[in-house]
Amino acid sequence: MSTIFIPYYSLLFTLFSTFRSYNQKIFTHTLSMGIIFLRTCIIFITLLIVMRLMGKRQIGEMQLYELVITLIIADLACIPMGDPSIPLTYGIMAILSIYFLHQVICLIDLGFSPAKSIISGSPSLVMNKNGIDDTQLKKNNLDVTDLIESLRSAGYFSLDAVDYALYESNGSFSALAKPEYEQEQTSLPIVLVNEGRYDFENLARTKRKREYFEDVFKKHGCNRKKLLIATIDGNGKLYFQPKGKKYQVVRLQWEEKVW
Amino acid sequence: MVKTAVSILLSFLLIFGMSAFEIWYVTDIFKDFRAVLCGLYEKAEGSVATHEDGIAVQRFWEDRKLGLHIWLPHNSIEAVDFQLSEALGYLYEGQFTDALPKIEVLIDMAENIPNVFSLRLENIF
Repeated sequence: MSTIFIPYYSLLFTLFSTFRSYNQKIFTHTLSMGIIFLRTCIIFITLLIVMRLMGKRQIGEMQLYELVITLIIADLACIPMGDPSIPLTYGIMAILSIYFLHQVICLIDLGFSPAKSIISGSPSLVMNKNGIDDTQLKKNNLDVTDLIESLRSAGYFSLDAVDYALYESNGSFSALAKPEYEQEQTSLPIVLVNEGRYDFENLARTKRKREYFEDVFKKHGCNRKKLLIATIDGNGKLYFQPKGKKYQVVRLQWEEKVW
Repeated sequence: MVKTAVSILLSFLLIFGMSAFEIWYVTDIFKDFRAVLCGLYEKAEGSVATHEDGIAVQRFWEDRKLGLHIWLPHNSIEAVDFQLSEALGYLYEGQFTDALPKIEVLIDMAENIPNVFSLRLENIF
């Protein structure tokens, strides 16, 4: 009888020891996981409070310093949250410091307008009644195609559709449209010449040769190579602007609407 | 504007208060710990230190280190734990010549740890 039970007891003992050792391991891991969970909760609540105190702008379009803060704060929150060897107070202190800096910059922003333009930048008027301001575009590391893209995003498909256009200091785009724009626009304008070079794909769409447009430019006293931009729509409305000069709009006599 | 100024003042006070408390708290604990360790060192030097003396130092440390975990990286505290356990082992075996360097390391750590985390130019960079 006893010979039968010895392996049975031995098996039970082995099972019990294994369970105990696993149980200890699970308990140890649960502790560490539990700590990370608690740390995450604390950091989450701290971040939530701080972001709430920073205001709504933080979750919408951001100023430059707000973007910097958002980039830093994500890292500050993650490091002490995931590494239990770093005291949580370090993360909380860092977040608190960021909040302090944010409020200081906000105060400078509100109180001293010259400082505001240094910290956050100032709006750039990239289009005026003379057309595109190439210098302002270059200052902001943009080109005409970026401007056209921004105009399209704002709902304007032609360069002569707006009187003024500007990039705000937070990077958003604003434009003041001409009053009669909606009635005039019936065809999508495309880029014909960009920085003095033809867009041959768009040139083919016009079903006309480059000599035709060369003649038009010459007739209006303009050298194609010195053009900043030239766009054309399907009705033959040509918009072109030489570098540093006022834009011109020419209505070419086309027999039919091309697109 | 007033609200922003008040929030700046409050957050500054909180940051300053926390920093000042941390410096005071950590320095104070390590100052006491160093004094206790110096006592143990003198006893070990005179070959009269017992294992119980070591246990008393360990209890002193264990009581204080709980609060230190909030302010210091846990690795620094673990390093003290490790050295202290080794010193205790040597004291238990009565090997004073081996215990002395360990206690000396601990005294050195008690002097240096608060300096490593204090507000100094070399610590900032």
